[in-house]
Amino acid sequence: MRSDSRSVRIQVLVAEQAAQRGARVGVVDVCTAAVAALPVGGAGVSAMSRTTASHPLCSTDTISEQLEELQLTLGEGPCVDAFTHGYAVLTPDLLSGQLQDHWTVFADAALEAGARAVFALPLQMGAISPGVLDLYADVPTVLDAEQLADALAFADLATLLLLDARIEETSAPVDEALLDRGFEDLGGYRAEIDQATGILTVQLDIGIDEAFVRLRAYAYTQGRRLADVAADVVAHRIRFSPDNEPKRTDDGT
Amino acid sequence: MNQQLLAKTFVELADNLVADFDLIDFLRLLTDRCVNMLDASAASVLLADHDGKLRVMAASDEQVRLLELFQLQSDEGPCLEAFRTGTQVIVPDLTREVDRWPRFATAAHRSGFGAVQALPMRLRDETVGALNLFRAAPGSFDPVGTPIAQALADVATISLLQQRSAHRSTVLNEQLQNALNSRILIEQAKGKLAERQNVDMERAFTTLRSYARAHNRRLSDVARAFIDGSEPLPGLAA
Repeated sequence: MRSDSRSVRIQVLVAEQAAQRGARVGVVDVCTAAVAALPVGGAGVSAMSRTTASHPLCSTDTISEQLEELQLTLGEGPCVDAFTHGYAVLTPDLLSGQLQDHWTVFADAALEAGARAVFALPLQMGAISPGVLDLYADVPTVLDAEQLADALAFADLATLLLLDARIEETSAPVDEALLDRGFEDLGGYRAEIDQATGILTVQLDIGIDEAFVRLRAYAYTQGRRLADVAADVVAHRIRFSPDNEPKRTDDGT
Repeated sequence: MNQQLLAKTFVELADNLVADFDLIDFLRLLTDRCVNMLDASAASVLLADHDGKLRVMAASDEQVRLLELFQLQSDEGPCLEAFRTGTQVIVPDLTREVDRWPRFATAAHRSGFGAVQALPMRLRDETVGALNLFRAAPGSFDPVGTPIAQALADVATISLLQQRSAHRSTVLNEQLQNALNSRILIEQAKGKLAERQNVDMERAFTTLRSYARAHNRRLSDVARAFIDGSEPLPGLAA
């Protein structure tokens, strides 16, 4: 199998869901595609933040919806742990004893709602962590290595979609065709993209999430690859400023 | 081979593994020690993500990091081969391998490297990455050095497992994902610090690492606190 086939395959699955809905790809399509591809009954995504209130974004059925609401209300559960610690929380069977001690209220409430296995995957890119993807099954379920790798790829895509949704808020004129092909960018030159994001937090005096959104928005409006823009930022060929449009500092030489 | 240095290095690496260590910091230490101890000018560690795609997780200097990125992009070279075949790839003279890896051999020469040893990081029947040692001068490698280099590659694999048990995760995939995310976090923090202090990325990294060591903290925890601005970090914060 080709090494890059998984993320491409996952993107196609998600795009198919969006096409069926007749809409542009969104996190809800990640949820429905994950349910179709994995041995789970439902999926949901919650937007989470350390500084502002968390809220459910979407879910595929009423059980998923209840699970999202429960965790955010109770402040406990796999999704809360996944967000706090930044790693996947995989619970093949909620009836296992220690878990009920760990999530005293959530475990029983989730069982009552009809969930038996719950999996929470943090949406994250370094310090950027906009939310959590939750999956549940109504029977005890263990995700094997392939399924887990797929689940992680679904979470990666949800992370980008959630952040891309904010690009429109930056009032950047966005070319939709670019948005649709924007995901191949996060490959080999990864380090420059992350470094440039860190640099923008200082140049624009903003948080890391917004810095990434601004970097991507700029790449879209210029019709350039994210990796190329990032390399320019790191090499000080482009400088962002809060008051002006980003400037090329090398006069195109 | 300096026996004393060898013993000291393994003691240092083992010391790190029993403590609450930071994987990225540890892999960087390992590449630095490879350079000090073995017949190498530069070293790097590549790990596969959940896509099976290799990523540069640690590099002893910027030159070798860029060469590794080039290798991954052009999809040919000794490190990829070690990863794909799960066997050691030992190349005493890269100028003779122009037919085998036309783009890589040329790029390596331009970066000033004449020889390379790529050691697979194996875990049971799975290959999870590779440790790569580059040398400026061509010529055969010290036969005593290769098993030691492989032992260091195995130590790098063990560090992954160790990190995994610390996080209670039972799945390697998930652990590699966490390692990759730490790498991203540290790059973001490097960018912020480099811009704030007007220094280059390498200097930003050593500053972050020195801070973590001096305060007995994990590098990725310091990186996260620095980006979030969630606590005062004397010397790092503005």
